[in-house]
Amino acid sequence: MPTSMVVGSSEDDIAEALTVARQLGDAVIVAYGNVNTGSLAEYGHKVYHVKADDPESVFLAVKQVYDEVKPSLIVAPTNKNLKDALSRLSGLYDLPMATEVFNVKVSGSSASYTRGFLSGRALEDDQVPLPAVLLIAARKVPRAQKSQAKGEVVELQASPTVKVIERRPKERGGVNIETAELIVSVGRGFRSKEDLKLAFELAEALGAQIGCSRPIAADLKWLGEDHWVGLSGHKVAPRLYVAIGISGAPQHLAGITDAKVVVAINNDKSAPIFKNCDYGVVADLYQFVPVLTKRVKERLHR
Amino acid sequence: MGDIVVLLKPALNPEMIRGTQDGSVDFDYMPLKLSDIDRNAVEEAVMLRDQYFKGSKIYSISVVTWGPASKRDKDVKMAVQEGLAKGVDEAYIVEDDSIVPGDPVTTASAIVAVIRKFGLKPDLILAGEATIDGFSGQVAGRVAVKLGLPYVSFARKVELKGNSIVAERDVEDYVEVVEAPLPAVVSVTREINAPRPPTLVQIRMASRKPQHMVKLSDLEGVVTPKRRLAAARVLAVKRKQMIIEGKTLEETADKLLDALASEGVIKA
Repeated sequence: MPTSMVVGSSEDDIAEALTVARQLGDAVIVAYGNVNTGSLAEYGHKVYHVKADDPESVFLAVKQVYDEVKPSLIVAPTNKNLKDALSRLSGLYDLPMATEVFNVKVSGSSASYTRGFLSGRALEDDQVPLPAVLLIAARKVPRAQKSQAKGEVVELQASPTVKVIERRPKERGGVNIETAELIVSVGRGFRSKEDLKLAFELAEALGAQIGCSRPIAADLKWLGEDHWVGLSGHKVAPRLYVAIGISGAPQHLAGITDAKVVVAINNDKSAPIFKNCDYGVVADLYQFVPVLTKRVKERLHR
Repeated sequence: MGDIVVLLKPALNPEMIRGTQDGSVDFDYMPLKLSDIDRNAVEEAVMLRDQYFKGSKIYSISVVTWGPASKRDKDVKMAVQEGLAKGVDEAYIVEDDSIVPGDPVTTASAIVAVIRKFGLKPDLILAGEATIDGFSGQVAGRVAVKLGLPYVSFARKVELKGNSIVAERDVEDYVEVVEAPLPAVVSVTREINAPRPPTLVQIRMASRKPQHMVKLSDLEGVVTPKRRLAAARVLAVKRKQMIIEGKTLEETADKLLDALASEGVIKA
């Protein structure tokens, strides 16, 4: 019976990947980092675990299991560590690999899937021969159920050649922007970090989460990366997205295609965001946003 | 010190997307351009060469994913010349209609085949973290494993220390500082530098630099594409694009809130 291999570092990720992987029949799990292997064993599949979570160690562990099990399908969540680790496995055996895939269907000796293409402006439907490596998009499939049987747990070791000298956790504000219903998002139109409070006040009045464009998170670091909306950041799907001082670079727009209503506030009337919004206000954000906040408060509490 | 190889992709330009009647992506219409993050890779190659690799050469390798050559040749050369203008010394271009549309399996194997065939001995291979068309970020990792070299992905700062590279990399939950022995493969993020536009003199000089056109028959070990692109549809996001104006900012704010309330997205 063909087997699939699921790779991940959290039970949520692994349970979603298992839903896709079980289309093929049996599966094994390769878990890495700090994860409860006892709980993973309750899905009824053999669990291999490597304690390290750097991409090279994960690759070495995955390779060891791949060589032993020879799976027909490798399913994992899409994240940076696994893009790295699984690109190496794919390169080693010339396996097709795709990221952010959904609608995965396995039939016979091939798999098909859909994924974003052209910086989020298109969707591509692909077909690849097995064995294949598929990194799935988050929250598109339900989690797999646990089983009566308990899988065996095997510990693996890895000795990477790249040495980790220092490691700093990223700043996390505890926000989950991807599931937010209302988002007020900030961009380079703000002249200083302190000025962001204008947006925070509007967000508070609306009960919205704070998002931001690439420069605010990646270059200026005024906000943590969990606020970053866009192709390299987070893809969001709120019912209202208010873009303040955001010009609307294609990579940012790719992150908001699923927003129901987009509002843009910007003083540059030629900014591309105005071609990609439902309602636009051409105004100096420093003047307009406080007035908008005030009116939101007054109208919500009348 | 050895040479530097930088991977440059002539990518479909997503900003020029157009659909056919049935909403499919009109590939024939879409032009190619140098993938954005590859500019950062070239910039980093030039900066590292100037700082640590004086006298070394920078080679670029491009594998054409989107054909046919008869239609794409001009765009491909423009993209590659941008690299030459920025400081690449010599370019290799694999353009062959028998491997288009390509995929990362083909691209990585062709890059490795070029390195072997032309005897390139890079100490460093640089690439962008992903390309603007496919955005799956897997070619650099594939090249590294095929050449048996250490791979440092998502680097946003790179320094050389003796015969090692020290890089700050941006992985999922951490920022890591890592050290890897050379030769190594490094993929870079946009934050690593601010690419300088080439000067007019550089642009003029670029057309005189060597550009080697490579066919599949010149190479060994190139794997034909495994991905079959069954369909590609334009994602039509229709926005109303209504500009809201009022005599005062209060009036503008109220009109905006009225509109949002009638959409049912807020209660105000």
